[in-house]
Amino acid sequence: MNASVIIFYIIAAFILGAGILAVTTRKIFRSAIWLLFSLIGIASLYFWMQVEFVAAVQIVVYVGGIVVLIIFSIFLTQKSGDEMPKPLKNRSIFSALAVLFGFAFTFNLIKQYGFKQIESTPFEVKVSDIGNQMLSTTEHGFVLPFEVVSILLLAAMIGCIVIAMKVKHNEQ
Amino acid sequence: MGASSLIVLFFAAIAFSVGGISIAKIFVKGVKNPQKGQAYECGIPATGSPWHQFNVGYYLFALIFLIFDVELVFMYPWAVVVKQTGLTALIEILIFIFILFMGFLYAHKKGALKWM
Repeated sequence: MNASVIIFYIIAAFILGAGILAVTTRKIFRSAIWLLFSLIGIASLYFWMQVEFVAAVQIVVYVGGIVVLIIFSIFLTQKSGDEMPKPLKNRSIFSALAVLFGFAFTFNLIKQYGFKQIESTPFEVKVSDIGNQMLSTTEHGFVLPFEVVSILLLAAMIGCIVIAMKVKHNEQ
Repeated sequence: MGASSLIVLFFAAIAFSVGGISIAKIFVKGVKNPQKGQAYECGIPATGSPWHQFNVGYYLFALIFLIFDVELVFMYPWAVVVKQTGLTALIEILIFIFILFMGFLYAHKKGALKWM
């Protein structure tokens, strides 16, 4: 067992531990914070795989964006600081059964799939390659999609403003 | 191995912060003072609970933030290669930001970023 494998197990334990705490804690805000830690753990798993761009996207979009969105929606609900009631015993038994079934199913599926060792060099994309490809104006460059993305984001922004402001006007 | 040293650094940072807090927990004397629990040491005393329901209109702030967050993802590979690509990269990103700035102006004009 080399250092890389040990680091993998530490990261995996961190992700799972934070995930279990996220679903078992009785306060919804703490649950969101544990989810944040779990997503940071997944980002470090991407760093471990040396896919830096995906790791950066994971941190910027999921840790920085989605979790902030979740925290915002928690603050918009009533009684966000209260402790939630304990789950019913029947419900927790059945959910444990469902989790066990899902785990067995996935485990079986992975075990039956014949993973093969690939002889060729591992897939490796540098961020500078992505950037060069994205900004290149040659025939196979992606500069037009890059600019179109900004139009897409503009459309998304205008769309969310129009829809949300309409709701606000109806309330008044 | 840049990535794995980063991970080691990450866990070292967690160990440092958790270690500092737990060592302080051991040595601290349990002095109870309501002033210690305040959010700010000086200034206007905070009133009421922070856990009240906020206006739904603030969700729009989060949505607009998310759009600019996604914009940032595209600026990361741009920032890595801007030095070697030069002026073309600068013009491309200026167009990109200009289009998104129009969205920001629209949000501002519509009063989406107003205090409620």
